[in-house]
Amino acid sequence: MNALTALKPPAFMHSDYGPALQPHVAETLDDMVSVPLTDFFPDFAPAITSGDPALLEADLERVRAETRASLASVDMSGISADDSVNILASEHGFGLMGGWPYAEMIKTIREVVMERTGCRKIHLRLAIYRGFREADEVAEHFGFNEVFEGRVKGLGPFDQGVEVDTAVGPMYLIKRAFDSAKFIHAYYDDPREMYFNRLLYKSFKSFCMSYARYETRSVYHSMFGNRSGSVIPRALFDSEFIQQRYTFSSVLRTTPMGVIGVDATTDLYAIDRRITKGHLETYGRMQRLFAEIKDCVAIWDGGRWGYYLHGGGLIFGTLLTNHSDAFDLDQPVVAGFMQSPTAPVNFSRNKSLRGVVVNQAWVGAGIPYVTMPFTSPMYIVGEEQAKMWREDPTNPLLMDRAKVVDSLEQGITMACEKGQTDKLIVFDGSYGHLTCSQSMADLLKERAPAVDKLVAEELLPKWLAQRGLS
Amino acid sequence: MATVKFVADYEVEPCIGCKLCDIVCPSGAIRMEARKPIIDDALCIGCGRCVDRCPEDIMWMKEREVPLAVTVLPEEVDQAAVAALLEKAGIEASVSICVCTLTPGSEIAGAIVKGAKNLEEVCAMTGMRSGCGIYCVAPALRLLEAAGCDMTPPGQHRWYPSTLSLYDLSDEVCAKYPDAFIAEDRALFDPDQKYGPLHKENV
Ligand code: SF4
Ligand code: SF4
Repeated sequence: MNALTALKPPAFMHSDYGPALQPHVAETLDDMVSVPLTDFFPDFAPAITSGDPALLEADLERVRAETRASLASVDMSGISADDSVNILASEHGFGLMGGWPYAEMIKTIREVVMERTGCRKIHLRLAIYRGFREADEVAEHFGFNEVFEGRVKGLGPFDQGVEVDTAVGPMYLIKRAFDSAKFIHAYYDDPREMYFNRLLYKSFKSFCMSYARYETRSVYHSMFGNRSGSVIPRALFDSEFIQQRYTFSSVLRTTPMGVIGVDATTDLYAIDRRITKGHLETYGRMQRLFAEIKDCVAIWDGGRWGYYLHGGGLIFGTLLTNHSDAFDLDQPVVAGFMQSPTAPVNFSRNKSLRGVVVNQAWVGAGIPYVTMPFTSPMYIVGEEQAKMWREDPTNPLLMDRAKVVDSLEQGITMACEKGQTDKLIVFDGSYGHLTCSQSMADLLKERAPAVDKLVAEELLPKWLAQRGLS
Repeated sequence: MATVKFVADYEVEPCIGCKLCDIVCPSGAIRMEARKPIIDDALCIGCGRCVDRCPEDIMWMKEREVPLAVTVLPEEVDQAAVAALLEKAGIEASVSICVCTLTPGSEIAGAIVKGAKNLEEVCAMTGMRSGCGIYCVAPALRLLEAAGCDMTPPGQHRWYPSTLSLYDLSDEVCAKYPDAFIAEDRALFDPDQKYGPLHKENV
């Protein structure tokens, strides 16, 4: 690692769903660089943490302070000393910057609610994605069992449901998420799959995903377009069932630079407007900058599913799909499961992605990878990882095409040769900086001023107007 | 078509008979007898969910000697009936209902025309739901509902009857959420205005 201020990516959590932890690309390859995002966009404000392990302790103090400051003005009169309250947390928050900032916000919420209301029966409900053991791993890694005195349970789309009447008809939430009289929506604002949520009421998404059964998630993703799907989480949030139990929301606020604070209030619609505006300004710039990449090889180098690994604050999925502008609501189809008969969209259409080298990542997220090796050659480092991919039922076709390589270096050489590119971009969990090859850094730095201008003068006003936020 | 390379197996003696493997199986491949699971290899679509769920950690996936090809071929079923079912449900023939196995709408509808009566049978006949298990559920249930199948949910929260689609929303809902691009998405996904609400009384 040389030159442009090397920052260490966040440390990962070991998981049964991933391979043994490997050294980061940034630690093993000498010819990679680490570019501060302010080299692209000098106006990006500094974050209170970007997950740098060396600064973690002091950073978490700041997250605590931010959480306390934001909660100070929250009306908690809906919670009495005799109540039982569930703090609802969502899995992806534990993939942001190593997960510690989100965990710290959650622990602080518990403390403050206890102090302010006298309530002692505060439970943590950890919503996970697919694996039955994910919640136990998270609870143990972040010390939740001790902090919550054993009042911790996981929940997933497979758990018993509860039928909820909504304006659009009955939907099914997970019973265990709402097994206390009240709940707190403890969220993070990573835009994640912006090509699905289109930043249309994204802050409500947990109500039809994390807290919902398989069937409701499927309705949201597969039975609606990615714009009209926004009615489902809102209809759930607006339902009597939720409103009777809802107390307030606390959202870990981010930009591509890292955590910038905490936004807590009872009014989730107000939070959502603030988040949407902030995201279009910051993530919008990074998303459009990534769209300037016309040829590259991506490296997965993190402790979550490859699709959701961050590089420069954006998940890999953004690179995979940003051949069209997800934020532009006039663009009807960006990516989605409901397909137009006249304009079908394939997830893996981004032809600029010439290859993917898997240094380390969890298997099992399904969806995007299935067809990816058909258009972007994949190179899996080491037999241990290859075995996991072979046995991954969510990607049954992947290993028919992906190649197993002995080392990271070999994978990169083969991918670059086949893809006719020397530009590497690494998804290693980084916020605040981007780990990449010098050639990629040069390209992005050269293009950033024009992207900045385009977003400021054309795209941002349009994106905001489309959402009534001008 | 799904090619199933693995099949579930378990160690009988330490099994505590908790039934959790049976409950999570999407294709009805497991049944309990004398408090022990019986796994039907022909129905196992290799999803691995039972292995992940088993609290005793006594299940595993083993490689099949010969991979199992799970599919409903177009020539096996009346294609006019398949097309009519898809139209009634408002689902395009070519859309990947299961995004893990890439099983198209036409094959799911084909399985139902061929005789599948519930979600488990659709999964066993097509391999659908062997992956993430999430996104394919509602479209498959909607096709079953459109075919007049019994939508009473089975016990132990195996599935719930959720089949809502973009084409079901009332004018009142559209007015309540005016910024949800409902009319725009309907025009995009159904340019010929073929689709409409799925009236349960018409099923
Ligand atoms: S289909 Fe899945 S849950 Fe059922 S027996 Fe096979 S691997 Fe186990
Ligand atoms: S989940 Fe495991 S312990 Fe329980 S019945 Fe199945 S094999 Fe036996």
